[in-house]
Amino acid sequence: MTRAWAFLSRRRAGSNWDWTDIVTFVWLGAGLFIVFGPALWLVLSSLKSPAQLSEFPPTLMPYEARSVIVAGYENPLPLYKVTDDAGTRTLAEVRRVGTVAQMVDPADPGTIQKINIANRTPERDIGFSWSNYTDPFLKFDFLNYTKNSVFVTTMATLITLLTNSMAAFALSKYEFRGRGFVIVLIVATLMIPLSVILVPLYSIISGVGLINSLWGVILPTVATPTGVFLLRQYMLTIPYELLEAARMDHASEWQIYWRIVLPLTAPALAVLAIFSVVWRWNDFLWPLIVLSRQEVYTLQVGLNAYAGELNVQWHYLLAMTVMTMVPVVLVFIFLQRFITAGIAGSGLK
Amino acid sequence: MGRIALHNIRKAYGAVEVLKGIDLSINEGELVVFVGPSGCGKSTLLRMISGLDRPTGGTIEIDGQDVTRRSAADRGLAMVFQSYALYPHMTVWQNMAFGLQNTRMPKAEIAERIADAARLLEIEPLLDRRPGQLSGGQRQRVAIGRAIVRRPTAFLLDEPLSNLDAELRVSMRAELTALHSRLGATMIHVTHDQVEAMTMADRIVVLRAGRVEQVDTPLNLYNVPNNLFVAGFIGAPGMNLWPATPETKGSFLLEGGTKLELPHLDLAGPVTFGLRPQHLRLDENGPLTAKVTLVEALGAESVVHAELEGGVRLLAVLPGQPDLALRSQIRFAFDPAALHVFDAQGQRVKTG
Repeated sequence: MTRAWAFLSRRRAGSNWDWTDIVTFVWLGAGLFIVFGPALWLVLSSLKSPAQLSEFPPTLMPYEARSVIVAGYENPLPLYKVTDDAGTRTLAEVRRVGTVAQMVDPADPGTIQKINIANRTPERDIGFSWSNYTDPFLKFDFLNYTKNSVFVTTMATLITLLTNSMAAFALSKYEFRGRGFVIVLIVATLMIPLSVILVPLYSIISGVGLINSLWGVILPTVATPTGVFLLRQYMLTIPYELLEAARMDHASEWQIYWRIVLPLTAPALAVLAIFSVVWRWNDFLWPLIVLSRQEVYTLQVGLNAYAGELNVQWHYLLAMTVMTMVPVVLVFIFLQRFITAGIAGSGLK
Repeated sequence: MGRIALHNIRKAYGAVEVLKGIDLSINEGELVVFVGPSGCGKSTLLRMISGLDRPTGGTIEIDGQDVTRRSAADRGLAMVFQSYALYPHMTVWQNMAFGLQNTRMPKAEIAERIADAARLLEIEPLLDRRPGQLSGGQRQRVAIGRAIVRRPTAFLLDEPLSNLDAELRVSMRAELTALHSRLGATMIHVTHDQVEAMTMADRIVVLRAGRVEQVDTPLNLYNVPNNLFVAGFIGAPGMNLWPATPETKGSFLLEGGTKLELPHLDLAGPVTFGLRPQHLRLDENGPLTAKVTLVEALGAESVVHAELEGGVRLLAVLPGQPDLALRSQIRFAFDPAALHVFDAQGQRVKTG
């Protein structure tokens, strides 16, 4: 803890404050707020009840009303702090009629007091509506959506890594006529957005009968020009002599790819894996078009179901948005170290 | 086993011809060094022999068999690369085992061969490390070890010492030579360093611009260079080369105006005289008068830079530490038998 604090409070000139220190702290603080603020706001809001979400002004923390069991009443009664001519005290509400609430003192359940609602504020504790999280899984099909999403993301990422690295290997390590043209062609497809090819792509997928199949979501997305380009540029840095040494060592071209080039491309593969996981996990438009049956919905398409035409179930939407963020965050946490290690390692000969 | 014969090897990259017809035969167990300035085609020639590149013309024979069209792996050769080309993600052991595993050799034999090679090269403690954790000299040994375990018919070494520091290079040079005599295998070593070539080789192949200039033992190259290029390339410091024209019989005028009386020579047309710096000695009555421009005293010997008449440069290596003042005029003499003579085409002229 002290070390962390020493790290965070480091200053340029030892113990004195330089103007650059102040600028740095303000800049980084603002950056932290801008980047982390919305995520924190999302997480806190996802734990609020629907009533609290619609409250204005909004509160930062999720609260729930404090209630008490009063003798003579079946249900727990919500507590309010009342301030009027008779002083400040805590009362429980029995019922409310117009602007007047009938309230009792929990210590004296017999006497009903009539209080103007302008004179009272609810007594609240910090409390979390975990049901926002549990309901979608228990009452709705979210477990199934999650399974579908995991399947799509995993398969698509694995196939992406395999096919893209094979293409990159050929385009970086073999000399053949038209190589430059092929590379330009692949990179040029970056200029065509999905929305342009949506209709032809749909007819292909429907033609091969993959509508309402998860493979229909996976297959069209696995060949990414970004991935091929990224891996190719990285593979170009692998010295050609290594391949020749392997060739002298009786390695077949497949072995060279599988046992020499692929392990050495690991840092770039990690980067592409992160991209691919994020892309596939967050993919919305294409799955929405291909999948029309509830059983094959992915998370993102399933989330859409909460945003109805007439009302939006914000509490579920927020909670499930947090859930969809979790895997992406985990991927970053675990692969980030790998990336830095990879970049540091590639400096070695 | 390990005879290699090259017949009229040619290689062109597009319109650029890098090798212009090379004939060479390498005997079994010989350590042959390819030497030449950069761009002379020595590495290209080695790659032709290894099979990593195909020649555009000519044939390569190993042990009497034509292997020109055979792949690199099937030629039974092992190569040590300039950058060592160790697989960075494998341990030293895995690096050495990779080639053997690919030939489906039994595990026990792989382990035995690696143990043997590791003992020979004294890299046993390093077997579990990765190349990134090794020093330059250790990587060098591992690269050689990877070649040894293959038990190849011949070793091909592509400038293996050029990435080492000067001190290590000298000791690795000696080790490589010792290794060669122990293994008794054919080795082809490529270098641009003529000292390396002189100290290691059984025979040296001097290459220039895609052609073989001369093939001979180191001392023969030094003593009887076939042409001007070899004369200038072999030996350190380089041979003095002075263009000259005959005046009368036995009398020559060097470029710059110095006159030389060489009664035993009867030559017509312009020639170039070559004289090793070591063959010059101080002599008050000597025929060469020169002005000292620089003295490099190395202790045991001194390298004297001087200028003959007309600013023609002269290099002399004198024993000991002679007391020579800068810009003073001194006279040199030499044994006429030590003089090399080359004709206008740069070819050696036989004298006496």
